[in-house]
Amino acid sequence: MAEQKHQPKAGPDSEPDILQQEKKAVEEIIAIRSITAENTVFRRTQGGFVRMEFTTPEGEVKSYPRVSVHRCFPFSDPTHFISIREPEADGREIGLIEDLDALPRDMRAMLEEQMNLRYFTPKIEKVHSVKEEYGYAYWDVTTDRGACRFTVRTGGGGNVYAIGPNRYLINDIDGNRFEIPDLYKLSAKEIKQLDLFI
Amino acid sequence: MKDTLWKPVPRSVRKALEERGIVTGEVCSLAAADMNNDGGLQNIYLLLTPERLIFAVSDQCGEMAYAGASLPKRRQPEGIAELYDYSLSRLGNPKILNQVVGGLLTVDVDGTETWLCRFSGTKMRRMQRFCEDLDALLSGRPLKERGDDGEDYCPKCGAPYPERGRAVCPRCMEKHTVFVRILQYFKNYKLRVVVMLSGVTISGLANAVWPYLSGSVLYDQVLGGGGELAEKLGIPGNTMLLLLLLVLTMAGTHFIRHLTGIIHGRMTAYMVPDIVCKLKQRVFDSLKDLSVGFFTRRQTGSLMQRVNGDANEVMGFFIDGLPYFLFNVVTMALSIFVMFSMNWKLALVAIVMLPPAAIVCYVVGPRYWHANGRRARMVRSMYSLLNDDIVGARVVRAFGQEKNENKRFDKVNERVRAAEMRVVHYGNQYDIAYSLTRDIPNLLVWSVGALILLNSSGNFTYGELLTFVSYLTMLQGPLEFFSDVFRWWASSMNSAQRVFEIIDSHPEIEEKENPLQLDIQGDVELRGVSFSYEPNKPVLKDISFHIRAGEMLGIVGKSGAGKSTLVNLISRLYDPDDGEVLLDGSNVKDISFASLRGAVAMVSQETYIFMGTVAENIAYARPDASREEIVRAAIAASAHGFICRLPDGYDTVIGSGGRELSGGERQRVSIARAILADPKILVLDEATASVDTETERAIQASLEKLIQGRTTISIAHRLSTLRNADRLIVLDNGKLVESGTHEELVQRRGVYYKLLQLQSKALAMRGIE
Repeated sequence: MAEQKHQPKAGPDSEPDILQQEKKAVEEIIAIRSITAENTVFRRTQGGFVRMEFTTPEGEVKSYPRVSVHRCFPFSDPTHFISIREPEADGREIGLIEDLDALPRDMRAMLEEQMNLRYFTPKIEKVHSVKEEYGYAYWDVTTDRGACRFTVRTGGGGNVYAIGPNRYLINDIDGNRFEIPDLYKLSAKEIKQLDLFI
Repeated sequence: MKDTLWKPVPRSVRKALEERGIVTGEVCSLAAADMNNDGGLQNIYLLLTPERLIFAVSDQCGEMAYAGASLPKRRQPEGIAELYDYSLSRLGNPKILNQVVGGLLTVDVDGTETWLCRFSGTKMRRMQRFCEDLDALLSGRPLKERGDDGEDYCPKCGAPYPERGRAVCPRCMEKHTVFVRILQYFKNYKLRVVVMLSGVTISGLANAVWPYLSGSVLYDQVLGGGGELAEKLGIPGNTMLLLLLLVLTMAGTHFIRHLTGIIHGRMTAYMVPDIVCKLKQRVFDSLKDLSVGFFTRRQTGSLMQRVNGDANEVMGFFIDGLPYFLFNVVTMALSIFVMFSMNWKLALVAIVMLPPAAIVCYVVGPRYWHANGRRARMVRSMYSLLNDDIVGARVVRAFGQEKNENKRFDKVNERVRAAEMRVVHYGNQYDIAYSLTRDIPNLLVWSVGALILLNSSGNFTYGELLTFVSYLTMLQGPLEFFSDVFRWWASSMNSAQRVFEIIDSHPEIEEKENPLQLDIQGDVELRGVSFSYEPNKPVLKDISFHIRAGEMLGIVGKSGAGKSTLVNLISRLYDPDDGEVLLDGSNVKDISFASLRGAVAMVSQETYIFMGTVAENIAYARPDASREEIVRAAIAASAHGFICRLPDGYDTVIGSGGRELSGGERQRVSIARAILADPKILVLDEATASVDTETERAIQASLEKLIQGRTTISIAHRLSTLRNADRLIVLDNGKLVESGTHEELVQRRGVYYKLLQLQSKALAMRGIE
């Protein structure tokens, strides 16, 4: 991708050089670079991703053909602290967007598209039934995306947990996620079905 | 093969595809995605032919059944709404990008990196295969032959299995078969079971006779002044003798009841521990044969609970539940029979009120149990908070967070209180409902009975009324029992199912039939090994290397680069997804576990100390080792010194519940264990990571002795540890990036050289590279 700097350079490095490089690498790791409308340009790619040009404080322009967009606080604060990262699985952070709302509307839309790809979480609107049998609970719900039926492992805990007041996240056996945005918007009968988990 | 291929596609869709001119016979790989581009729930079928990549979008959307859910009952068969395709010549570099949920199939289209399709976690595995096939086709490699994994769908009901690698469909595993299976455990105790059951029946009968004796006979025949009974017995008028006979009979029934009770108790005492023990043994047997993967997937806590709690729960029902079921059936049938034969009108009055009352109980009861369950959960969460606070007491104090912790505790405590209140509340409701079921029929019988008594002269007596009421009271026990027995049965069957699940589960790593018994010399070779714990998250990619017997190989790499995984493959704790691991030229899959595990020993960064003495821990791999050997091994591991300083020396009990050893001490005990095991292949996984410099030097010295004449694979962050290695390999992100001798790697001036420079300058900033 864009960066070659972690790859060892060919040719003999003198020892101080290596130390210098490492020092720089460390500084880069611990630095916080903020991404603003002034220092960054995002563009949609034809392939449905987002490319980015970032001007470092030193005035160097770095270009990334594709970036990953991660939320630092996906539940508690989805519009602040958005981490823009190199796209590889262990990619480093390019910079941090402190407030998504401070960005121009089109830029914001682009990033939100990417985040919607990343955080697919249907919101549960209606609970038809939750049946528990042999260590698995079979859920039948209606979500904002449509009717879903899925299976959650019971026992051991950790598959249904609170992510805010009256707000719950459900992990099914395949790692799919479902959200109950507000428990008390459900009827008493529905809440009772969830008693096993909540 | 073809049928397997088309499994994810409904027949109607296949037909629709054929109608649209797609030659289904040409399709060589196939997958289904479950989301459209906007994240709507819609099936998209991906077909791969030698020339084209075809997307067939389903004509139905807005509904999805994920793994474990039964297939949707659609009103109309699914068809194809849209069809589009790409010529393979335009595509390149296919990959799957993992998202928080599911992934994106991404391909370079005309050189532009493009995501073509989204899918959820449920489809990950199949999509990954599809992506591999696409990659193979694009690069001209042959497609990998894959057998039917046979795991995805239940053949009976068609629902996807809830858990991969576990071909158990919970819906189709019927409760009564579980029941029958448990009964088999009682096979060896046939006589005892018969004795026990007949005891219970007799005790039920004796129980049912009692009210008759204490009511009708006592009041009407004895107190009422020698009725027909005395005449029948041939002692007319002799009330005292009749009373005596009655008392004796009553004493007799009591005696029988107690006797059968004792018999029941003794039989239970004989059988239960035996059967529970057998069941647990079976569970434990299969547990230890299961592969490491099984344990990492599940929490240890829930496993321990299974082995213990479930076996008890199952037997509890069979030993207590079933006999009482019989007892209660006998009691109930007899009571009702006697009541009707005494006075059917009154009996009707008594019985009529029972069903509605029982229904009330049935409605209120579950609420009460629910509240109980809730309280138990709350109390558990309070315990875990308490545990947190007590274990983390130092941190709490250090950050001065006592007040906040108090608040946290108050909150949980308040919830426990609320749950407790609910239990009391519903408990009261239950009690009231239950009293009603008892009191209303009672009152009715008293009043209607009194009316009958007043109006009919002689047909109905005081004694009969009393008897009647006694029988009515006796019905309460069975009623209460039956309102609860189904719940009991269900939960016991659940436990049984969990137990059988473990007993039935097949280890992922199985010894081959007729495995090779080898005297392994220690020649290790990896050929193109790839491995992943989760789909599409490869940990090792195409690793090949060869170590000759007696050589030492050093493995260098960042944390998370796959070093530990690599050595786990050599001792076959996991099997590679691709490629093969060879020992002395034979695939490890062909070698018997005994030869394999006898040849490989590991000293890892996580040391595990078993409960037992120091000596037992050192001799773990060879329990028959002599004291001299143990001491020698300990000296070689420079553990002898600290062991001797322990008050109980080698007899000190360590491990859970015993004396705590420091990290370095534990490390040395496990090195001594490896020394004593005397393996041909020694794996050192960060063996000196948790000890101070001086101890490390001592351990290094002992390791140097240990590695003589063995194949050694050593993983280390500190490169100084590897200075004796014959060869080194450098792993980065699951790939082998450099390999060679120390000198070669220094010459190369690559990753290794850089690390070496950093460390030799004593400027090791660990965790950076």
